[in-house]
Amino acid sequence: MRASMWIWAVIAAALALLPFWPGAIDSYAFSFLFFIFIYAILSQAWNLIAGFGGQISLGNHAFFGLGAYATAILWSGNYLWGSLYESHPRIYYFDPVTMAIAGLVAAVGAALVGWPLLSKLRGDYFALGTLGFGEIVKVMFVNGGDFTGGAFGIVAPSSTFDTLLPHYWAGLGLTVAVTIAIGLLMRSRYGLALIAVRDDEMAASANGIDTLKVKVAAFAGSAFISGVAGSLYTYYIFHVGPDSVFDLDWMLLPLMMTVVGGTGTLMGPVAGAFVMYAVFDLARILVPDYHPVVSGLAIILAMLFLPKGLARIGFGLPGLVRRG
Amino acid sequence: MFDFPPPQIFLQLSLNGALGGAMYGVAAVGLSLIFGTMRLIFLAQGAMIILAAYFVRALFQSFGIDPFLSLLIVVPVGLIAGWLIYQGLFRKAAVEEDRNISLLIAVGLMFLAENLMTVIWGGNTAGVVTGYTASGIHVLGIRTSFTRTMSFLIALAGTGLVMLFLRKTLVGKAVRAASEDMTAASLMGISPHRVNAIAFAVGIALAGAAGVAVATTFPFNPFAGFIFSLKALVALALGGIGSVAGALAGGIILGLIEAYVQFFVGGSWTNAVAYGVFLLVLMFKPEGLFGRPYKKA
Repeated sequence: MRASMWIWAVIAAALALLPFWPGAIDSYAFSFLFFIFIYAILSQAWNLIAGFGGQISLGNHAFFGLGAYATAILWSGNYLWGSLYESHPRIYYFDPVTMAIAGLVAAVGAALVGWPLLSKLRGDYFALGTLGFGEIVKVMFVNGGDFTGGAFGIVAPSSTFDTLLPHYWAGLGLTVAVTIAIGLLMRSRYGLALIAVRDDEMAASANGIDTLKVKVAAFAGSAFISGVAGSLYTYYIFHVGPDSVFDLDWMLLPLMMTVVGGTGTLMGPVAGAFVMYAVFDLARILVPDYHPVVSGLAIILAMLFLPKGLARIGFGLPGLVRRG
Repeated sequence: MFDFPPPQIFLQLSLNGALGGAMYGVAAVGLSLIFGTMRLIFLAQGAMIILAAYFVRALFQSFGIDPFLSLLIVVPVGLIAGWLIYQGLFRKAAVEEDRNISLLIAVGLMFLAENLMTVIWGGNTAGVVTGYTASGIHVLGIRTSFTRTMSFLIALAGTGLVMLFLRKTLVGKAVRAASEDMTAASLMGISPHRVNAIAFAVGIALAGAAGVAVATTFPFNPFAGFIFSLKALVALALGGIGSVAGALAGGIILGLIEAYVQFFVGGSWTNAVAYGVFLLVLMFKPEGLFGRPYKKA
């Protein structure tokens, strides 16, 4: 970790301590930040495959949805904890095992579909293929019968909760963990290989890198992270349905946030998620009737004036500039 | 498991599928042109089609202009709008190496168009009902609706005109050259911006023509466009990216597949089968069903 990254550590620590600020506890800020964390995690996931790996995936919303469904199915069917669930009805909340399984389901899905896709397709064709894959998964869940709850989906057996703080800390913790993991990964031998594949696939392959394996691993990693984000979302929304968790927005918005923050940078996705979600949320508060219009405008304006990401306007934070 | 239906029904299915699929075809031709020159997956194409459909409906309801006659207005407006969209939104992004930027502008445009339509016309399903909407033509016991037949003819005419334009005019040849090799084309003095703008103008004009077809045959709502874009992409892949006639044929094939799946398997599976075919074609025959294989890079 470079010394200059301390500023992000300070921000994370401040956010972690925010709930102890007197009177802050009832604030809307926690729900606001919780969504920013979800988007930041999804943006990091997209950045891993597209920014560092150079493979534009338009199917990441499928992995988000797979993670959400896996969580809801495990929870509502009580497949994991058996009789323990009776005595501890909250055991499924942020259960690391459930969340890891949610991520794994998405990662396995990504590996299964990524292997043939990535070995056959590159560039725009891979993007098109993943877009088609996303739609197929959605239709499969609509037609999944009792197992997936059909077009309605699944309602998780939630118990009432009167504070968002566990969600908030879980979201923050996952965002930090994912960011650190990707930061370490990109410094490792594997990360160097991934960047080499992005920059010149033929040269990388000539130097003995198994390019297919590297790309599939990045795709599966991206899916794992997206799946965990989907799991986190399920703990908040309690109802997963094909139209809600397989919505294209779960792919398009993180894509946009990453590009605004800076693709292929470590902190860009996080910064982009903060900035763009704040813009959307402000629009939702200030012009409630027109906020989707404003979102569309915001995307266009951001792309017209910030095509290289926030780093270009001298946003003086480290981790936003893409290195060679 | 299932009885093979009498040939009558089979013919009827095929006809319905082909006529409906031609609409995907027109949308795909527009996508093909834009993808050809800019390498941009123009996801907003469907939203543009629905926008055109609302425009047709407004012309019909406010001024009593017949939907098919409004082609004479919608297509020129589409040409100008396409030109303006390129110059205003995509010109700067087209020179960027990062093509996510163009893709995101298209997404932004899609959000903007969808939600503007919702604000102006409301989110409910709309349609255009004329005196001839319900009228049909009977041939050999097969029934086709008048509006669907007209849409099919519009699709054929639109594709034919675009092909003539690409083959016979100098500007059209420039567009073709640019989609084959932009660098070489610009070395020959072809301005990338002009070619891109022309591709966009023709693409949006085709969206206008498709809008007329949609308005007269289908009920539509502001958010129906995206699925149209996806279907057009499937049609594009089936026909071979970069081929105009192939795009129309791809649309018709997709329409047939959908009609058969809907009848034999069930309506809820049509999309999955359509995208499954799409993936298989992308993987095993990326040059399309009719194209010649590409040279390997």
